[in-house]
Amino acid sequence: MNIAVCVKRIPKTAEADIFIEKDGTDIKKDHLIFTLNDWDGYAVREAALLKEKYGGEVTVITVGPEESKEVLTRCLAMGADRALRIEEPTAQDGHLIARILAQAIKNQSFDLILTGVQAEDDNGGQVGVELAQMLGLPHAAIVTHIEMTGDKAKVRRELEGGIDEVIELKLPAVLTIQTGINEPKYVSLAAILEAEDKEIKEVGMEEIGIASGEPVDTKIDQVFFPPVGKTAEILKGNPEEVVTQLTEILKKKKG
Amino acid sequence: MKIDPKDFIQDYHLNLCIQCGTCTGGCPVKFRSPLNMRRLVRETSFTAIPASVFKRPELWACTTCSTCSLRCPAGVKNVELIMGIRNFLANQGEVPSTIRDALENTLLQGNPWGRFRDRRADWAKDLGVKILGEATTETLLYVGCAPSYDPRVQNVSTALVKIFQKADLDFAILGKKESCCGNEIKRMGEQALFKKLSKDNTNLFKKSGIKRIITISPHCFNAFKNEYSDLAIPVQHYTQVIADLIETGKLKMSKTLDIPVTYQDPCFLGKQNLVFDEPRKILTSIPGLEFAEMERSKQRSLCCEGGGGRMWAEGGTEGTRNGEIRIKEAVGLGAKVMATACPFCLLTLEDAAKTSGLTDQIAVKDISELVSETID
Amino acid sequence: MGEIFVLVEHRQGKIRDITLEMLEAGEKLASQQGTSSTAVLLGHHVKTFADELASRVSKILVVEDAQLEHFNSLLYQKVLSSLITKYQPSLTLIGHTAFGMDLAPSLSGEIGSPLVTDCIGLSFEGSRLKAVRSIYGGKINASISLRESKSYIATVRPGVFSPAVPAVPGDKKAGMVMESSSLQGTIDIKKFLEYIEAPLTGEDITQAQIIVSVGQGIGGPEHIPMIEEVAKSLGGVVACSRPVVDRNWLPKERQVGISGKTVKPKVYIAIGISGAFQHVTAMQGSETIIAINKDPRAPIFAVADYGIVDDFQNVIPILKEKTKGMK
Repeated sequence: MNIAVCVKRIPKTAEADIFIEKDGTDIKKDHLIFTLNDWDGYAVREAALLKEKYGGEVTVITVGPEESKEVLTRCLAMGADRALRIEEPTAQDGHLIARILAQAIKNQSFDLILTGVQAEDDNGGQVGVELAQMLGLPHAAIVTHIEMTGDKAKVRRELEGGIDEVIELKLPAVLTIQTGINEPKYVSLAAILEAEDKEIKEVGMEEIGIASGEPVDTKIDQVFFPPVGKTAEILKGNPEEVVTQLTEILKKKKG
Repeated sequence: MKIDPKDFIQDYHLNLCIQCGTCTGGCPVKFRSPLNMRRLVRETSFTAIPASVFKRPELWACTTCSTCSLRCPAGVKNVELIMGIRNFLANQGEVPSTIRDALENTLLQGNPWGRFRDRRADWAKDLGVKILGEATTETLLYVGCAPSYDPRVQNVSTALVKIFQKADLDFAILGKKESCCGNEIKRMGEQALFKKLSKDNTNLFKKSGIKRIITISPHCFNAFKNEYSDLAIPVQHYTQVIADLIETGKLKMSKTLDIPVTYQDPCFLGKQNLVFDEPRKILTSIPGLEFAEMERSKQRSLCCEGGGGRMWAEGGTEGTRNGEIRIKEAVGLGAKVMATACPFCLLTLEDAAKTSGLTDQIAVKDISELVSETID
Repeated sequence: MGEIFVLVEHRQGKIRDITLEMLEAGEKLASQQGTSSTAVLLGHHVKTFADELASRVSKILVVEDAQLEHFNSLLYQKVLSSLITKYQPSLTLIGHTAFGMDLAPSLSGEIGSPLVTDCIGLSFEGSRLKAVRSIYGGKINASISLRESKSYIATVRPGVFSPAVPAVPGDKKAGMVMESSSLQGTIDIKKFLEYIEAPLTGEDITQAQIIVSVGQGIGGPEHIPMIEEVAKSLGGVVACSRPVVDRNWLPKERQVGISGKTVKPKVYIAIGISGAFQHVTAMQGSETIIAINKDPRAPIFAVADYGIVDDFQNVIPILKEKTKGMK
């Protein structure tokens, strides 16, 4: 079966110091470490597992700058066969990304198209499902289990509170993949170095039929630090003193 | 670079093996895991499908203490075989999940714990330490990952800074430019990543114009001294430096520490690199300190089980940890402090003192911490 | 300006809380804009829902159809897009939930209305929709403006807006309008089959009064035994955030979060947990929340009562000693 996986290169912000750009429309990213979006990693692994089981080819696609190639290389090392980078538009949002991906994918025949549920940077959760609509394909979001049955896919969708929904879709279909669906496999540096020899196709937006300067639906006017509302009372002192205070609090509050 | 296990016989001299069992006999995890070096050499040599021999959890129990290779009378490269097998497995992505995380973290953030790169020198920010690039020096104090990020081991880094400043020893650290030395990375099987770290670090050291490197961890010491082939800069472990400072009168230890102390020879400092005397010189120079030797000391020191990736995976080991055995031995000697010279020994032995319930009888301290207490 | 639609989210016979939150938000927006809000209820045998909602909104559009009993995005989308075409609402609010995430983006694609997801704030500037979103793991907020449009779709983050309170009895009740589903035949390219509940194995953390919870900030599973000792000394249980379960450090039944369990213990200690909203929303009802995290800007400190900014390895070993025999 032929599978396409749409992936994104994102900056890791946990434990990092965050600074806002002078024009206030984004955060400074020069000092941040970039890598493959966590959700997309699970999607690529899932595609590789499906390929192992059913044969076929896995194509990874990203809309991003030149640096995104390193993320595609990683996907190739993870078992993808082909990689495509589409140059990113200057202004972008989930809707435009979905349009660009739809243009790139619509003339190819994939049995399954996977994306991650959302990206770690904007937490949008929009692209995969909107892409399905644009391709005229059925979809399921937040998938934690995939079972292929002939020309159908039976999938589990993760709902709230520990309940799953079981959905059956006719292929081809689009699935957005949730973390934990599989056990990520280690990608060795040797495998990555070998993958660097593989070809990555690169196209500009005009080549796939989207005008540059295409307008977006949503625009960030300003980013800011969340307002400091009620915050925790920070316990002060050396660890010994802090734990003494904590123990007193626990004694009182545990009842 | 495809690794063919059939090359292992030649690469690791397995054909020289006489099956005497000295390797298994000296292995520090033989009572804790099914790992059997003698049998592994034989199976690797004779099996038609080497890969079938390798997928055993106990291969990850090996601490790479190297006792097997050091004692082999026939010249078999035992521990190197384990590292080669791990390399074969790692290249296929078949490593335990916690090892996977440690390796991926190192590629991404320059340390196996995945801590943010930019935070690496936070521990030093108020200590008046020179950072290479902002200042020049001839001596680099290469801090290492655990001494940079682990709160317990940061005490060792801080103690060393204090000692060097007191002794007027000019030095600098790399700050957030410092990346993992790769010693454990190589032992966990990631030869390609080790090569990359070694190349990048060597270039960084050479470009900075330093003439000497001091390490905190014996693991970093071992990597730079023995496995960085292009590094033509002399490397010392900090115990060698402090011993020298004491010898040449540059470090005066004025306060008395009236305590009975014993010492755990770290595998990567002691049996592998033969640095036995300097740590002892330091300890016996501390006024008031009574030094007692462990029965299994120097080359016979029992591995604490911190090396070879064991900080990140257990390899299926069971039963009493070696750390607890060592702590009990030290208590039996009448020691009140177990001195260490390695961050992994420090962490594993201190954990062992807690799990044995012996923290009221013995404390685990790094040599630098003891010296720091005497120089106020 | 057109009315504001609020899509009612229900599952297994219950209206989900997000609906009440959106009704309140929708009502406020509507009165600001001089328009009204309408609950849109799709389902099967939904009269009880309609009655429940009647006191919280001025108008309810009801579409009753056996095929709408269980959520299926294709069917719901079909019905909803024809309702939107007919009524021309200026804004349709949908929960940013498993339901909404499966529906809103494709609905937006079908009717061409711009979409903004996971909103923690919504307002109009003239006729232009503006939103506030939380990004970069909760460390940054963003003010968003959408392009001019007669009709918008926004998904709303659960737990941010206060729920609509039922009106005093005797107040004017909602007008109900029945609409037909216009569904013809069955759609088989996407079929709902069943729900699967997670089996209750092992510890039921929802019953615990003291919870000591760990996040991926603890760095590895080897620290969990020590945490378990602390929990035991306090008479509590160990729980965790989602990434810990993804990494198999703890089983799924220990997960506190939107896709796990919601807990309301007397004491909730969060160790190495950043405070992403998917976790916070499931424990913010705890009486006392204590957070231990080395990142002073971790969002968890905004929801905690007490905080310790330090590496947990500096603190927990001491806490373990001090709490021995406390129970």
